[in-house]
This record gives sequence, C-alpha cells and structure tokens, in this order.
Amino acid sequence: MSQPTKTEARPPSLGSRLTGLAVVVLIDAAVIWFVSRLIPLGYYPLAAAVVGVASFVNLVLLRRAAYPLRWMVVGLVLLTMFTLYPIGFTVWVAFTNYGEGHLITKQQAINQILKATYLPAAGKSYTWTAFRADTGEYALWLIDADGQGYLARPGQRLSQPSPGEAGVGALDDKGIPATLAGYTRLNPFQAATNKDLTSLQFGEAGRTLQIRSPQEAAELLPLYVYDAGQDAMRDQQTGAVYANLRGTFTSSTGQELRPGFIETIQFANFREFFTSPALRGPLVRIIAWNFGFASLSLLLNFSLGLAIALLFNDPHFPLKKFFRSLLILPYTVPALITILIWRGMLNPELGVIDRTLEGLFGWAPPWFTDPGWAKVAILLVNLWLSYPYFMLICSGALQSIPEEIYAAAQVDGASGWQQFWSITLPLLLVAVGPLLIASFTFNFNNFNLIYLFNAGGPPMAGTPTPAGHTDILISYVYNLAFSGSRGVNYGLAAAITIIIFFVVGTLTLFQFRLTRTWEEVGENV
Amino acid sequence: MKKLGPIFSLIVVLSLGLAACGPASTPAPTAAPAEPTAAPAEPTAAPVEPTAAPTAEPAPSATLKIWADDTRTPILLAFADAFKAEYNVELVVEDLGRVQDIRTPMITAAPAGEGPDLFIGVHDWLGALVESGLVAPIDLGGKADEFVPMSLEAFTYTDGKLYGVPYATENLGFFYNTDLIETPPATWAEVLEVGQQLQAEGKVKYAFAMAGGGYENMPVLTAFGGYIFGKDAGGAWNPNDVGLDSAGMIAGVKYLADAAAAGLIPNTADYETAHSLFETGQVPFLMAGPWAIDRIRASGVPYKVTTFPDNGAPFSGVQGFMVNAFSQNVLLAQTFLTEYVATQDFMQQIYETGLRPSAFKPVLEQTTDPDLLAMGQITNAMPMPNIPEMGSVWTAWNNGIALATAGTQDAEAAMKDAAGQVRALIQGALAGMVNLPGSYQDQVGCGGQWDPACEKTGLAKGDDGSYTLTVNLKAGDYEYKVALDGSWTVNYGSDGAQDGPNYKLSLPADSAVMFTYNPETHLVTVETK
Repeated sequence: MSQPTKTEARPPSLGSRLTGLAVVVLIDAAVIWFVSRLIPLGYYPLAAAVVGVASFVNLVLLRRAAYPLRWMVVGLVLLTMFTLYPIGFTVWVAFTNYGEGHLITKQQAINQILKATYLPAAGKSYTWTAFRADTGEYALWLIDADGQGYLARPGQRLSQPSPGEAGVGALDDKGIPATLAGYTRLNPFQAATNKDLTSLQFGEAGRTLQIRSPQEAAELLPLYVYDAGQDAMRDQQTGAVYANLRGTFTSSTGQELRPGFIETIQFANFREFFTSPALRGPLVRIIAWNFGFASLSLLLNFSLGLAIALLFNDPHFPLKKFFRSLLILPYTVPALITILIWRGMLNPELGVIDRTLEGLFGWAPPWFTDPGWAKVAILLVNLWLSYPYFMLICSGALQSIPEEIYAAAQVDGASGWQQFWSITLPLLLVAVGPLLIASFTFNFNNFNLIYLFNAGGPPMAGTPTPAGHTDILISYVYNLAFSGSRGVNYGLAAAITIIIFFVVGTLTLFQFRLTRTWEEVGENV
Repeated sequence: MKKLGPIFSLIVVLSLGLAACGPASTPAPTAAPAEPTAAPAEPTAAPVEPTAAPTAEPAPSATLKIWADDTRTPILLAFADAFKAEYNVELVVEDLGRVQDIRTPMITAAPAGEGPDLFIGVHDWLGALVESGLVAPIDLGGKADEFVPMSLEAFTYTDGKLYGVPYATENLGFFYNTDLIETPPATWAEVLEVGQQLQAEGKVKYAFAMAGGGYENMPVLTAFGGYIFGKDAGGAWNPNDVGLDSAGMIAGVKYLADAAAAGLIPNTADYETAHSLFETGQVPFLMAGPWAIDRIRASGVPYKVTTFPDNGAPFSGVQGFMVNAFSQNVLLAQTFLTEYVATQDFMQQIYETGLRPSAFKPVLEQTTDPDLLAMGQITNAMPMPNIPEMGSVWTAWNNGIALATAGTQDAEAAMKDAAGQVRALIQGALAGMVNLPGSYQDQVGCGGQWDPACEKTGLAKGDDGSYTLTVNLKAGDYEYKVALDGSWTVNYGSDGAQDGPNYKLSLPADSAVMFTYNPETHLVTVETK
C-alpha cells in the first residue's frame, strides 16, 4: 500500500466509482453465466466455490473499508482456486464413491437411464429411411422383417401405399421409394445430422415409433421411470424397483443399473482403508522401509554433498570451478531421464555396470530380484540425483560461518575434526536444517523415483495384497487405490491421501521441534 | 485504469482456474457452448430458406469431433475433405498421441460435455467406460458379418451390447531366428531343448527371454491350460472364477521358473532386454506383438513369425472406434461408423498405415504382409477380459510370476498367493461378511433397504460354524436374501441356490427375530420370540 491515507479518506470520483461498478457487473455477469452452466451439470461444490470467490471479490470492490484488500485480491483468488479448492475437493472426494463406475453426477446418470427403451411384446421393429419436407417435417419409410414397406408420419397411422399412391414414387432395389411428393429423401448422414431425430415420435398416438439406431426404428417405450420420492427407478416392463444404494440403482435381487453415479458415502473409504487386508499385511514393513529410505537418503546425500562442499571450500583446491560445474551436472538433467538411464545401466542382461562387474568378478548384484540389492540401488540412484543439491546449499552455508570462530578454535588448540564437529556442523545445521526437513519430506513421498526405477519391486512373497520390497507408502497406496476391484477409485485414493497428509504432517512437526534445538545452538554462538 | 489491471487478470484467472482444476471443472467456459449449439441449428432443424439446396450450403450441417492417435489421425484427416464434400459433415480430428493416452482425457472430459463424438480406444477399456456410462452402444446391423468374430466379441460387454467398431487386432506372435532355427519347435519343452543345445554350442545366451509378466507370457501359460477368468453359462466373464491358481496356470509358471532356474531364460522380465537379446541374435525365440515388427526389421535379424508351440493362445487387444454417450451427435456418430468406417476403402487405409492385422474380413483376406498374416493365423488368440475386475489382476499376476522365476517362492505358492490377492481385491474390504439384505433393514438403522454392505445386519460367526443375527422387528411382512462379501455378486435365495428367490417373513406382532445361516447349505432358518 503505497497510497497515502489522505487519498483514501477522500470520496472517490464519480467516474472511478462507475468504472468500478461496471467491472463488478461484468464479473458478476460472467460468474452467473458460468454458474448457470455448472448447476445443470451437477457440479455443486465448484459452483459454490465460484460463488464464494465472486462474493468476496464483490465485497472487496464495493466496500471502501476493504480497499486495501483489493491489492491482494488476485493473489487470494489464485490461492483459493488453485490451492484451497483442490484441497477442499480432495476432502470432499474422500467421502464419496468417485471412481470408475461412479464418474458422473446423479442427474447425468438418471438422464441416461431414462433414455433406455424397450420393445414391448407386441411391438415391431423396422429399418428406416428418412424423408424431409421443406417445412421441416419428417416422414419415415419403414421396412419390416418380412420386407413389407410402410409410410410413417408423426401423428398418423402407418399406411402401406403402393408406388403411385400418396405421392410415393417408384421403389428402388431395396424397396424404398425414390421420391415422396413434397419431401426430399435423405441419405443416412443427412438424416442423422438432426439431433432430435431420435426423439421424434412417428405413427398414431399410443403406438408410436422411434428411431433407435442408424439401422432400426421400433415401437419403443421408456423402460424406466424415476421416483424422486423414493429415490428409485422402476422397470416398467417387469415392475422391478431399483433403489439408490450408495450411488447405484440396485434391485432387491441385486441387479444393478448402469451407470452408477457419484454419491457421498460417509466414512466408507476410511473404513475400507483401515479394515483392508492391506493394513494387516505388509504395511509395517513398508513404513519401516519408507522411514529407512528417507533417513538414509538424507544422511547419504547430505554427507556426500557436505564432503564435496568442504573439499571445495579449501582455497587451494585446483580447478575448483571446473570440478564444481561438472559435479552440478546430475542436478541439471531431469530426474526422469536419470532414473531411466540408471535403470538401463543396472539391467542384469544388458546394463553396462552389470556387464562390467560380471566381466571383472564373474558376478553382479541382482539389483532387480534381491530385496537388499534393490534397496541399495534405489539409495544409489537417489544419491546421484540429490548430492549436487546438498553440495550447493552447503557451499553457500559454509561461506556464512565467520572465520574468527575457526581462528579462535585454532588458538584453543582444536584439531580439524574437533573444529568440524563443534563448529562447522552445528552452525551449518542451523542454516540448512529446514532444508533437510524439506528434503526428508520430499523423499518420504518420492513416488517418481520408486515408480520409475522398479515400481516397488521385487515383489514381497505371501502378502495379502500386492506389495514390493522397495514400495514406499505413496507407491503402495497408489497401487491400492488404482487396482481395486472396480478399477480406479478416486474416493479411496483421496481418503488415503488425507491419511498420509496427517502422517507426514506429524513427522514434519516433530522435526521442526528438533530444529529448534539447532536454532538454540545458533543463538548461543 | 488502475483498477482494470487486477480485475482483468481476475477474470482470466477465474476462467483458467475453472478450466484447470480437475475432472469436476472441465466445463471450460470458452469452448463448450459455441460448437454444439450454433453449427447444426441452421440447416437441419429450421430450414427457413426453402430455396437453399442442401448441396449449396456453405457451412457444414454438422461436425463430428474424433479423438485419435498419431497413427490414425492423418488417415482420418485424409478422409475429411471427401467426407465433407459428400455428406456436408465436417470431421474434426484431434491427435492425442498414443492410443493409451486417449483413455484418461476421455474419462475426464466426457461427463463434462467436453469430449469428442467418437474416439479410438482398446476393447479392455469397456469395463471402466460402460460401467461409468461413458460410451453408447452401436448397432452394426448386417455389417457384423464382415468383421472378425473375435474382434466383435471383444467389444461386446457383459450386457450383450456392442460398444465399438473394431478396426485392428493385436496379439503376440512367435518369432524365431531363421539363422539359428530351421523348423520352429512344436512344444514348449522342445523350445528349451533347442535353446539348451544352442546354448551349449555357445551360439546363444538363452532360449528366450520374458518381455514382461502375465500378458507377455500368456502363450506359455495357456499352453499348460492356465486362464484368468472363467466364463458363466451365458458366455460372460465371471469375476468369481479366478484362474490364477488353476493347475494349468501353476504348471505354466513352473515351466518358466524351472527354465529360469536352469539358466535357460533370464530370471527377470524386461521388455527392452527380451527384444534386444532377440535382435542381437542372443536368443533364438521371442514372443512379440505387431508393435515390435518395425524395430525387429530395423535390427536386421533374420526372422519369421509363426504360431505358438503347444497351440499356446495369446491375449488379443482389439482397437476400435467408440461413441461418447455424452455426445450431442450420437446418431450421426453411429451412422459414420456403420456407413463410412465399416467399409473396405476406409478399413484398407487404416490397415496400410497401422501395421496391425485388420478386424475387417475383406481387408484381412487381402493381407500380404507375411508377419501380420502369421499373427492373424493365431486364431486361438482370445480377447483380454473387458470387465473392470481385470484391473485387479495385473500386478498380482506379474508379481506371482516374478517371485516364481526369481526362485523366491515355488510356482504353486506364488500363484496361490497371487490368486488370493486378486480374490481379496475383487471381494473388497468386506470379504468374508455374511449379510441378510432385505426390506427390514431400515428398522435396524441401516439407512436404506436391501443393502448387502450394512454392518448392522452382518451375521456373527458362531463356534459351530453357523452365522447368526438377532434383530427386533415390528409386525409386518418382510423379504430378505443372503449376500456374501458385502456385495450382491454372490447371493443365495430361499432355495439355497445362487440368485434364487427372496425369503419371505411375516410377523403378526413385534418380535425379536434370530436368523441362522448355514454356510454348507446356504439356507437361513428363522426363530421368533
């Protein structure tokens, strides 16, 4: 806020107020139009979010007391739409059955089910050819299974005119009149470009015909009626009632109507996760490896990065800049490529590393079949990917440690090791501590590395759900949520995401406690 | 002016944000309304100008939007001009990359009204697409005879309806190196014998290599009698009959495990490894699909393709066109498929660039490419199950094979575990639950009727092996049934038979009712107090 308070107190000019109002009207018009499109599609949460944001914008632009807020309005709107709304949406999804089989809204599902038709026992089906009058009216020439031709017009009984009667021209080789007086014969595409053709009723009332497909027109009746009071579908042919059961219309004999739809199912996803065999089985081992992987990665990557940084901190090191640039390289190559290259190099049959080792020692580690070696390989690749980052931040942090402290230590007769353990490391940790936590959290959820390198393999034997020895929590639950009985289950995935959020959140909180002790070290120096 | 800056960006952000934040919000405000409403209204629905002959119309009477892959897009585009000239319908073809890249955008965009009218896909997507109501059925009429029956079977869902017009089939073929092998072996045992001999002579490293898990080794597993899902009496896939631990499957996996233990095949499975070994002449045999023909030809290795030893049957993946159920032009899209796509001219073009055996008989009969011809002769190739439960199979199945070939577990234990994992996934979290869904459930706090997953009516297992439930019910007439695993998939009626009729219960007065279920006879007895 750079404007002095004086200007704020002065009432804004009429012109600027009018411009402001015009803008508000424009925004509101856009929002109302957009929301009116969302509501029929059933996107209520999104509509609510848009309305919420729009009211906030209105408030800010119209109320003078909220004037300072208008400098933040873009940021706040961005934050709402890109961060808060997705989080809210995830939480909402966790309480629904959203997933394959339940992808569309209830209204969409009802519309689709109501479109289903059936051919009553006495009904007939025909092949059809459409004719269009200049007035836009349609007539159909129908041919039944016995090859009999009929003329069908909306609201009139089917007739069987011979060529020459009722304006019917000569029949072609398929038995279809080439001309019909007052009408133009349409080819299948011309007919099909009319989107309403399938809903047109031909023939006399009470026994009407509809077009069902490019081939067939038949005396169809709607198969289902929807009873909103009971929230159920009734089959008009058999009388069976299909009640809404967690997003699927299900009959009392267990018959289900397709498609299902999105429905809130309370805590069922969380219950499913906590009662699933996945929890009884390999979860403990996976969590143990998850912690081991994140901590060991951090320790190894940080140690190597720090060691190199210390080496380069020596002013007498030759060709420092050259080596440093070289060592940064792994950090500049996209991780995706690096992981795949490592995967190739460690390949037991074709990989350069394995070929070399086997040539030298007649044996190479089974990186992809042995659980222990697979873990070593993962740590190795992660080390390659991450040490340059730690090298960078340590190099920077080392510069900030005052030389006088070392000078004082030397006066006190401290050895190099003592200086490192008592001065360098504690002071360094103060500076890079938060970054270490961020790195731990990142590795705790390092889905890319695990998934691209070996997808969690090798598999564990004898587990109640598929799991791998190098699976971490996130890759394990990814499989859990996306290989369920009915395909992808976003609801379950969202529920698990929330659970993982709390796990990682607790961890981070705990670690920040830890860093506070480092900060105290820093304050005491 | 100062105010307009942030506000303008706000409008932009609003529209962007709404377009970008995930499946629920895909109705981007810009694209949706213009295209479906404006274009067709003028010539068809309201021919206000009776003079305008249909051929003289400058604007197309309708637009068909197609999502295709990078191979098929140019072919469709090549047809677009002729199609527009003939029928005055514009084809808008959008290239989404590989075929498998079309599935997710389609699932996201279709319910929001943003999807194409037609799209290219693989038949095993049907489970997700049909269950979610995203594709419309297609009636091929008399043209059905012109398609390879297996390809139509693949695109037919469990409801008996056809959901796609197939254009190509893909299945593995048996490749052999003609420098090393004169006549291809007739049995899988012979494959290993030949391989062992060549290995002893120092000519090859292995007999063959596994290019992956279950899919890539299916011809071995089926040769021993293995299967994934059985079929029910009506010929539909039965997800309750999991064949991963069938004797044939175990024998097939044991064959692979024994070969790996003997050093005749590598003990890890990898696509790149298997193909590179074959292309460099280090293995004499390879199970590979039409997608690999280009690279194998480029490698220069002398090869031939033939049917599998022991009549092993590969899986078949069928590619085809499907109709978006949310399209505004369903009838037009269906007409396009039956009248234009299902023709020799069109199918021939698709065949010529796609390098896949055609699903259209007249084109298939004229195939001259020897490799495709050989793959097409593997007539026992069977469509991959298209039910959604197949999604639960892959990981467990591949893991079982990996554990057996790595020697961690023996084949039987590995496949029994895998089958157990798949059954647990299919049965869901409530596996083992015995429930009595019925018209009484709202009285005991279930929130609904006929709910097989309501925990309040789950039966408790007694020491004698029977299951019991006691509830207090008001006077009245009730019906109920037995359902297992919290779903309707396995349910028993009053005759103790699956899918049998409902039990009936009449209570003259309010009473406590004890139900006892006998898991042997699947019958329920009732005591009232």
